[in-house]
Amino acid sequence: MDKSEIQTRIVKAVCQVLNIEKDMVTPQSNFVFDLGAESTQSVQLLAAFEEEFGIEMESEAALSVQTVGEAVDFIAKYVNQ
Amino acid sequence: MRLILFDLPGQERRNFYPLSLSRPIWELRCGMSTLGEKLIAKTAAADVACFVPDYMAQAYRAKTDHKVNDPAMLTGDDLLLLDGRVKAASFNLEPKGPSEVGLTDDGQCLYARISKDDLAKLKADSIESLLTAAQQNLATVKCDLPTWNYTWELVLANPEQITEDFQALGRNGIEGTIEEPKAIRGSAKDVYVGSGALIHPMVVIDAANGPVFIDQDAEIHPFTRIEGPAYIGKKSILFGAKCREGNSIGPVCRVGGEVEESIIHGHSNKYHDGFLGHAYVGEWVNLGAFTTNSDLKNDYTSVSVTLDGRRPIDTGSTKVGSLIGDHTKTSIGVSFNTGAYVGAMGLIMATGKPLPKFIPSFSWFLEGVTTKGFGKAKLYETAKVAMSRRQCQWTPAEEEMWDAIFAITAPVRDEAIRRGRRQMLSKR
Repeated sequence: MDKSEIQTRIVKAVCQVLNIEKDMVTPQSNFVFDLGAESTQSVQLLAAFEEEFGIEMESEAALSVQTVGEAVDFIAKYVNQ
Repeated sequence: MRLILFDLPGQERRNFYPLSLSRPIWELRCGMSTLGEKLIAKTAAADVACFVPDYMAQAYRAKTDHKVNDPAMLTGDDLLLLDGRVKAASFNLEPKGPSEVGLTDDGQCLYARISKDDLAKLKADSIESLLTAAQQNLATVKCDLPTWNYTWELVLANPEQITEDFQALGRNGIEGTIEEPKAIRGSAKDVYVGSGALIHPMVVIDAANGPVFIDQDAEIHPFTRIEGPAYIGKKSILFGAKCREGNSIGPVCRVGGEVEESIIHGHSNKYHDGFLGHAYVGEWVNLGAFTTNSDLKNDYTSVSVTLDGRRPIDTGSTKVGSLIGDHTKTSIGVSFNTGAYVGAMGLIMATGKPLPKFIPSFSWFLEGVTTKGFGKAKLYETAKVAMSRRQCQWTPAEEEMWDAIFAITAPVRDEAIRRGRRQMLSKR
């Protein structure tokens, strides 16, 4: 799966979980400081990404991801394994 | 004679989950002491060793004076091997006598008395091989000794057991301090206040229906009412608590609100208001303000408990509260359903309605579903902080044991996480 498709699907999941518009989300967006994710929403984002891509991620590592762009790189490693 | 307590892997010990995940069954409490203490007292054994599942052996060594999983203890003396689930009150076998093995109808060994001479002939190098060799080579007898089979049995037996333990100990009187005005109902001979214990003014100790034992250095704050039978452990503090009959609390617990017929292990807190009834709570548990459990169904039918996340077990009792594993924490306002199984090392957030009856160990229970949350490392960090606040240490052996528990409990938790993920997303 290429990274642009991963990014599209990540943005869709982010908008769903955080209840925000697509145009607010860029690769540089920080989940906490730019998109306003609370700690429980971070856990929901992790669940949403796992469900979206059918993967199981290691939660400590996944929750250290700060931005949408980092999430794309991080998830790419799982889906392209 | 050497007493060997054993608790080997198998279905029997799974019936005591989540409490037995992190301790041998004989470390469970009923009345004023543990099941193991009762067995040791009953057999009058001076020399005691024990065998536990390997994954907890190292951590357990730090908590007991007895030798743990040491094969050398299986040689050189007359032995009495005893399943930790045997009810001490019913065990009347003479420690000395000809070798014999007590087997249940389905072939389980509940005890084996083995003379030193026979032991030499059996040549066993592990507890498992010794039990097998004993069954094959020694006289066997049919044994219908009563055993503890589920955790809720301990809760239901607790009031009576406190009374029996109080009588057996034979202690009463006030060795600590009771500040005026005091109120003791019932007979003073049914009350014991240990040395260093401090009872503030306006505390009611009601021993009219059962004894009240307040152990050393406990502190009871004003407006607490303790109804016997009750056991308040060493260094525990009660904060205006409404302690109904049948509680065993402590040591080093902080308890407020309403508590009835419950067993709470050491270092657990239920500081604030909220009802806990017919519950069994492990150690290092923290129940947030207004955490409440149901222990009675609205239709008064018997309560079922799901121990494995799949099949409910009918307890046969109309009163069963929550079973809560070690190190679990709840947020404010959590409502546990009747007969809830709440795994160990969990973090449970309120949803505004009663939670599911089964919450796996290591769950981050958020928004009504089990999630991976921030993972086990974060839970360990919290456990370390909680323990350091009471001058206790989280050790590498402890972490190793909890890693093993994480693996043991993974299949049912992973299934709950997958289900939770779907539920969480379908709500959006």
